[in-house]
Amino acid sequence: MIELVQILIEGALVGLVYGLVAISFVVIYRASKIINLAQGEVLVFGAFLLWTFTEGAAGMGYPLPLPVAIALTLAACVAFGWTIERSVFRPLIGQSGFTIFMAGVALLILLRGLAQLIWGAQSRSAPAILPEGALELGPFLVNTRLLIGAVFTIVLTQALHVFFTRSRLGLRLAAVAEDHTTAHSLGVSVRQAIAVAWIMGTVVATAAAVVLLSGSILSLEVAVIGFKALPVALLGGLESIRGAPLAGLIIGIFEALASAYLDPLTNGAASGLLPYVVMVAVLLIRPYGLFGWRKIERL
Amino acid sequence: MLTLANVDAVYGGVIQVLRSANLEVRDGQMVALLGANGAGKTTTLKAISGLLHADHGSVTVGRIVLDGQDITHADPSDIVKAGVVQVLEGRKVLEHLTVHQNLMVGAHLRRDRAAVKSDLERVCDYFPALPELLNRTAGYLSGGEMQMVLIGRAIMARPRLLILDEPSMGLAPILTQQLFDTIARIKKEEGLTVLMVEQNARAAIERCDYGYIMERGRIVLHGSRQSLEGNQDVQEFYLGMGAGDERVSYRDIKHYRRRKRWLG
Repeated sequence: MIELVQILIEGALVGLVYGLVAISFVVIYRASKIINLAQGEVLVFGAFLLWTFTEGAAGMGYPLPLPVAIALTLAACVAFGWTIERSVFRPLIGQSGFTIFMAGVALLILLRGLAQLIWGAQSRSAPAILPEGALELGPFLVNTRLLIGAVFTIVLTQALHVFFTRSRLGLRLAAVAEDHTTAHSLGVSVRQAIAVAWIMGTVVATAAAVVLLSGSILSLEVAVIGFKALPVALLGGLESIRGAPLAGLIIGIFEALASAYLDPLTNGAASGLLPYVVMVAVLLIRPYGLFGWRKIERL
Repeated sequence: MLTLANVDAVYGGVIQVLRSANLEVRDGQMVALLGANGAGKTTTLKAISGLLHADHGSVTVGRIVLDGQDITHADPSDIVKAGVVQVLEGRKVLEHLTVHQNLMVGAHLRRDRAAVKSDLERVCDYFPALPELLNRTAGYLSGGEMQMVLIGRAIMARPRLLILDEPSMGLAPILTQQLFDTIARIKKEEGLTVLMVEQNARAAIERCDYGYIMERGRIVLHGSRQSLEGNQDVQEFYLGMGAGDERVSYRDIKHYRRRKRWLG
């Protein structure tokens, strides 16, 4: 029993971090109706940027205080997100879904190559921003890094919900998420809103990178987390900020259970496969996810 | 206040929809723009509010001037900032937002929180059904309720010129009456100027100060309410009345219209 609860706790925490990555998909999708296939690469790029301003700068003899390094990373992420939107996706506004899909694939390969060009292919240790260790809660052990990440995900979800329903900028983004023509007619600058969404998505992905990688190995392979979070975003509903962490919880817990009980029987394949089984199931049964926007049809 | 001078509008670079359209809206007027389907009414409105680009259209010739300022190729957001707000046809509420959020999106350019709040109360006063609907999801409202939200949302932007595209579309006659009465009240109390496209020609002509009639992209007739009401063509073609004040059947009107087109 204790073992089962331990598995559930770990699954839930990891799942909430998947939820964080899923939020970065959702923020971008809402405004631009684009599923950014390269979101995992964006996350890795954010992690490498953080490495550059921490370990990288220290290695070159210019150690920066952590708050300064984080501020610089944030600024670089803003510039990075804006550049992707401006250079790849803005020129494609109004193009077909297929064109945008292919542009996403191209961006994925391009970012991978760029990261290798700038930082090299070798893996390195990611800066340890969050404390490593485990909290003892009675008989259970809770990973502090994941716990902080999970709490951050929940707080961020609530903050984004308030942002999208109360603030002027958030309402603008919500209007753009609904319908571009209507947003135009209300004087919302759709381009600006999409740019803001890309910047937000990039920053959230980098925050997820911090939680996932703090103190562990940073390499290009980490980008696969993007494809792991995509089923989470689909299950939660591509338009729903609050659906993402909930879907993350579900997938995280199922993955942990599969990894404990099915993997020994399947040579470790079950847990890796599970998110994609969920993805196919969601697309077949409920394509708008748990909380996504169903097209309202009135008769 | 607003002048369209010799405006041509083209979709997709080839399909000409407006041909040398001239139109003037004076301060405080209610102006009606009438005509058959496909006459170019909606295109005229979109040309004014800068929304043609979204439909791959553009104004190729002519000028649109608002209070001395050329807005022909201005950005839609700048046009809204200049005080021109269009209510699109077809009940374009933001479906998944609540009514309250819909109304607040209307005020997204305004920083004066206190004034926004009092405007919200005024909108609820114009449409007494709204306060109870504030927390409802807009996509599930009835057609009449949606139209209230749309007009309320436009008012939240504090426009000087309100552009309405077929506000009565799909509404029962009694609702249409109420809606037009409310629009007239809002216009008076807010000191608004209104430009309205309407299929319900009789209701529109009754309430406007000035009217324009379009056919195939041109303004073919314009005049004050009295002159339009007295005009025989308008009576025959748009109000469905024959010379002796008896109703002409729809087929006859269609026939007339076709003949008129053939004869140029």
